[in-house]
Amino acid sequence: MPYAVEIKNVSKMYKLYHENVKSLKEKILFFGRRGFEEFWALEDVNIDVEQGETLGIIGANGSGKTTLLKCVTKILYPTRGKIITRGSIAALLELGAGFQPDLTGRENVYLNASILGFSKKEVDRKFDEIVSFAELERFIDNHVRNYSSGMYIRLGFAVAINVDPDILIIDEVLAVGDEAFQRKCIERIEQIQRQGKTIIFVTHNVDLTREICDRVIMLDNGKVVREGAPRDVVNFYHKAMESVSSSGERGNRQVVIKSVDLLNEKGEPSREFQTGQSMRVRVSYEAEVPVADPVFGFSIEDYRGFTAYGTNTRLKGLKLGTIEGPGAIEFRLSSLPMLEGKYFVSAAIHSRDESVIYHWLDKHVSFDMHSGVDDIGLLYIPCEIAVLDGSN
Amino acid sequence: MIERFKDLIKHRELLWNMTFKELRVKYKRSVLGFVWSFMNPIVMLAVFSIVFAILVSRGSLSWFSVYLMSGLLPWLFFVNSTTQAVVSIVGNPGLVKKVYFPREVLPMAAVFANMIHFFLQMLVFFAFLLIIRWHFSPYLVFFPVVLLLETLFILGIALFVSAANVYLRDVQHFVDVALMAWFWITPVVYPINLVIGRFRSFLPLYLANPMANVVLAWQFIIYNPHKYGPEAAYVSFWGLLGTSLVAVAVFLLGYYFFHRTERGFAEQI
Repeated sequence: MPYAVEIKNVSKMYKLYHENVKSLKEKILFFGRRGFEEFWALEDVNIDVEQGETLGIIGANGSGKTTLLKCVTKILYPTRGKIITRGSIAALLELGAGFQPDLTGRENVYLNASILGFSKKEVDRKFDEIVSFAELERFIDNHVRNYSSGMYIRLGFAVAINVDPDILIIDEVLAVGDEAFQRKCIERIEQIQRQGKTIIFVTHNVDLTREICDRVIMLDNGKVVREGAPRDVVNFYHKAMESVSSSGERGNRQVVIKSVDLLNEKGEPSREFQTGQSMRVRVSYEAEVPVADPVFGFSIEDYRGFTAYGTNTRLKGLKLGTIEGPGAIEFRLSSLPMLEGKYFVSAAIHSRDESVIYHWLDKHVSFDMHSGVDDIGLLYIPCEIAVLDGSN
Repeated sequence: MIERFKDLIKHRELLWNMTFKELRVKYKRSVLGFVWSFMNPIVMLAVFSIVFAILVSRGSLSWFSVYLMSGLLPWLFFVNSTTQAVVSIVGNPGLVKKVYFPREVLPMAAVFANMIHFFLQMLVFFAFLLIIRWHFSPYLVFFPVVLLLETLFILGIALFVSAANVYLRDVQHFVDVALMAWFWITPVVYPINLVIGRFRSFLPLYLANPMANVVLAWQFIIYNPHKYGPEAAYVSFWGLLGTSLVAVAVFLLGYYFFHRTERGFAEQI
């Protein structure tokens, strides 16, 4: 079966002019002297999208995601290479692009659908569905200029997603709208997937790609840096993002954390853990001077900075007395509940009232969680499914 | 080129919708709405009739206001189409940068909206002519032919200036100035016999202006000069033939130029 989209050796160069010269006088004055820099937004990108596949594209801001989508939809044209698409395309690069504030919702539905390349007949057939999807039954004959931004977005999405394209291209538009509507959009996307349509999906919400994509591609500086199963690429993405995030250190260093080690079930240092395994966080210290009543603590944070778990010796009701010289404290976690992802461990030693911080290491070490299951979410909750018949 | 035409035909509904959008949006939020389209020619007719009846001694043309209208309305069709088309691409960045569709729809919709506008004004004008029991010329059957000729020429110009304006914003200012000058080398307010009388040797040059031939053709079929003033009766066979060829050429070249430059639109605006 031929590919739905073939992106072959595509490069896109933007000229960044040093001055924005746009009038004839300036053009003549600066003729031949206008300097520009080449900026390659895409470099030699090769992607084949199979029919019926849902492809996710992730990457940091400025990595070329939107440029790529615009090339696929023929808004921009690649500087080199070529793109072949098979089938009708509806692109949601911006919801409600082309809405006319002075026309009613109804008129805009027809106008917008025809901009996307769909006929009046098709829209006639789908009109009620579009309106009910957008939940705008009461307002469809009002001018769009009186719509709230939420209504505007809902109508834009409803039109694009209900016109039945062969290839649906979505750029970061799910981030808008309230949660209930987002959920509805995702359900609708899943329905489109079941119809065997091809979807290309760009988002910053990388966990969403794990939920709905068959395959994910990560772009960085205009190049494909990783391609494959969603889980793999998303983990790679998190790692890449984290190397940028900073770790911090503070304290008066009367007690110094010499090392933070993560030990697995066998007592060996490790950076890879399976869901359900145990972990020991060993904090080795050395007190330069005698320190009375210190508190040792640690926490586990995910890549977004959410604390998954944290505790300290005070919370556990432990008094350590006065410490001096080297020593170690071990936090023993019997079962790690986290699913797939990258996590960071911070460790700290401070006084009981936290008025004096001896040594605090923020996100000092990291480890990866792996799970053998495809379940989604942050935590693994043991779950069995029972099928009950109606008489119960 | 053929591919482009096919794509355009596929999007004909969009062209239609955009044309109607132009018309609808123009009069949205006004109480009288479409009535304004009719008001324009009615007021023009009234003013011209009064002014020329009172101020200007009856000259050679017995119905000067009718003569004026029969050339002025087609001229305004040309001017309004061109000035609206020239900003049609740069004025729609939200669409051009965010959605794919054949971009020629934008200038073409501007032209077609003005064509419908022109048609409505012609209706009012003809209603007036019926009321004053005008003797229509049998050549009026050529109305659609002349309209086609003028529209083709306007489309070519519209496609060219709308695309050029994306790369060089001076075009829209140049168009304003050029149209003003163009107006005076076209026989709208003065009869052609003035030109023939005084600048006979320059006549071929004068008729090299396609709009002169178009306007002359309109005057010929509407004004009925055989009855109301033979001095306005001038159609040059060679001028019209040349103009037809020029109109086709301008349309094709305008389309070609548009097609060659449209790939950069989304980046340039």
